[in-house]
Amino acid sequence: MIRDITIGQYYQGESLIHKLDPRLKVVGVLVYLISLFCFRYVIGFLVAGLFFVLVLKLSKVPFRYVIKGLKPILFLLVFTAALNLLWTPGETIWRFGILNLTKEGIYKCIFMALRLILLIIGSSLLTLTTTPNQLTDAMEYLLGPFKRFGAPVHEVAMMMSIALRFIPILLEETDKIMKAQMSRGADFESGNLMHRLRNMIPLLVPLFVSATRRANELAYAMDARCYNGGAGRTKMKPLKYHSRDYKGYGVLVVYLVLLIVVTRTVAI
Amino acid sequence: MQPIIDAKDLVHEYSQRDEEGNVTGINRALDGVSLQVEEGDFIAVLGANGSGKSTFAKHLNALLTPTEGTLYVGGMECGDHTKDLDIRKTVGMVFQNPDNQIISNVVEEDVGFGPENIGVPTAEIWQRMEDALKNVGMYAYRKNSPNKLSGGQKQRVAIAGILAMKPKCIILDESTAMLDPGGRKAVIDTISRINREEKITVIVITHYMEEVTGADHVYVMDSGKVVMEGSPREIFARSHELEEHRLAVPEAVKVAMLLRDQGIPLPEDILDQEELVDAVENLWIQR
Ligand SMILES: Nc1ncnc2c1ncn2[C@@H]1O[C@H](COP(=O)(O)OP(=O)(O)OP(=O)(O)O)[C@@H](O)[C@H]1O
Ligand SMILES: [Mg+2]
Repeated sequence: MIRDITIGQYYQGESLIHKLDPRLKVVGVLVYLISLFCFRYVIGFLVAGLFFVLVLKLSKVPFRYVIKGLKPILFLLVFTAALNLLWTPGETIWRFGILNLTKEGIYKCIFMALRLILLIIGSSLLTLTTTPNQLTDAMEYLLGPFKRFGAPVHEVAMMMSIALRFIPILLEETDKIMKAQMSRGADFESGNLMHRLRNMIPLLVPLFVSATRRANELAYAMDARCYNGGAGRTKMKPLKYHSRDYKGYGVLVVYLVLLIVVTRTVAI
Repeated sequence: MQPIIDAKDLVHEYSQRDEEGNVTGINRALDGVSLQVEEGDFIAVLGANGSGKSTFAKHLNALLTPTEGTLYVGGMECGDHTKDLDIRKTVGMVFQNPDNQIISNVVEEDVGFGPENIGVPTAEIWQRMEDALKNVGMYAYRKNSPNKLSGGQKQRVAIAGILAMKPKCIILDESTAMLDPGGRKAVIDTISRINREEKITVIVITHYMEEVTGADHVYVMDSGKVVMEGSPREIFARSHELEEHRLAVPEAVKVAMLLRDQGIPLPEDILDQEELVDAVENLWIQR
C-alpha cells in the first residue's frame, strides 16, 4: 500500500525532450508556470495548451502518465472549482438558496481549473523526462551564484539526491516494519486520531533508529570514498549545452511572444 | 620492501560520555594489535562479534584515529589528519550493508562517485567506470537503479566503485555477511581474482571460516587482540583453540577432528569436504 507513493517518477525514454539539458527544462517549466498567470483572456489557454501538447508529443510520454499526476489533487481541484463557481458575486444566472451561479463565477472557475491543471501536468512533464540526478545537477548549477554568499548549494543538492535514493529504501522498510508490527497485533487503521497517533509509535521508533544507523554508515562510506565537499571535485556527467538546447531556448521565447501577441489582440 | 600496512601496538578506546561530557566508561576495542601486510597479499581477519575487527579496519582507512600505538599505511602515518585523503586513496573499503554505501541512483554514476571526489578528469572517469564494472561482471547493469539489484550484485558494484579509485589495497569488512551463498561466492571469487590479476592487496574480514581457505595468511582476533596467526591450514589445525575464541570451524574440519579424537589417524590439515572424502578413502584403501 505504502509503496504506491511515487515521487519524482521518471519515464525512461530517448526522446528529444529527454535529451535536452536539464537546466533548459527547469528554466522552461518555471517560465511556463509564470506565463500561466500573465493573461486575462481564455484564448491564452489555447496557446499554453497547444505548447504543452507540442512538448508532450515530442517527449513521447503517454498522456495517461501525465494525468496520473492530477489524481492526488483531484479533490482540491473539484472543491475549489465548485467554490468559485457557486460563490462568486456578480451577474446572477441561476440561484438556489445560498448558491449563486454568476457569469463571473463561471469565468473564474474555468480559469482556476485550467491554470491548476496546466501547472500540475506541466511540472510533472519535467520530472517524467528528467532523472533525479539531472534535476539536482541543474539546480546546483542554477543556484550556483548563491554560493558566493556562502549558501551551501552543493551540499543541498547532494542531500537531495541522497534523499531521492533512500526514499524507496525507507518506504520498503516502513512497509516491512508495519507488517511485522501488525503480525504482533498492532493496529494502524482504527480508533480515533489520538489513538491512531499513539499506535504509530511502534512504527516510528524502529524506523527512526534504522534511518539514523543508515545515515551513520553512509557517512563512513562517503568518507572512505574520499568525499570532501564540492571543492576540487570533477564531474562524470558535466552539464553541456548543445545546439538543440539553444534552439530550445529560442522556442521558449517564441512561445512567450506568441502568448503576449495573441492575448493582446484577440480579447476573448 | 616496505609493507603496505604496518601496525605496532595499536590501541583504540571508545569512551562513553554522559550529558556533561564526562567520561563514564572506556571500552578498549583494540588492545595492542601489531601486524604487517605485504603488498599483493590476500589476508583474512577472523573474529567473533565484538572482537574489534571493524574498529581495526576503520583505522586502516583513517576513519578512526589510534588512541595509542602507530600505524603506517602505504608509508604514511595515520593519526594526524593531514594525510587522510591520500590514505583513503591507497586503501579502499567495502562495508557490510550494500544499501548503505551506494550513493547514486544509477550504477554507473555510483562507480564514478569516488573518482569524481579525487578529481579525475571526466573522460578518464568513464574509462575507469567501464573497466571497473567489466572487472566485476556488472557492466551490463550500468544504467540500472541499484535498488533493483540483488545483494551480491550490489556488493560487486560497491567493489567496482572502489576499484575505480585505483587503490593499492581493498578491505572487505564482512561484505558478504548479508548475502545468500550464491552471492557470497560471487563476491569472494571476484575479489580473489582481482587480488591475483591486478596484484591488489586484499584484506577480508569475516566470521565465515570457508572464506579464508584461499588466503595467504590468517589473523584471528578476540577481545581486541590478535590471538592466532598463520596459514589457513595451520589455523584450522588448531580447531579447539578456534572454538575457544567463539569461532565455528567448518563442518568437514570438525568431522575430521572428531574422527581423530576417536583414534582414527586422519591428517591434521583437512580444509574442506573433498579433502576429507579423499583422506577417508585413502585410509580405507590402506586397510
Ligand atoms: N562507535 C562505538 N562506540 C562505542 N563502542 C563501540 C563503537 N563501535 C564499536 N564499539 C565496541 O567496540 C568493540 C569492538 O567492536 P567492532 O565493531 O570493532 O567489532 P567487530 O569485530 O567488527 O564485530 P562484528 O562482528 O559485530 O562486526 C565492541 O565491544 C563494540 O561494542
Ligand atoms: Mg564489524
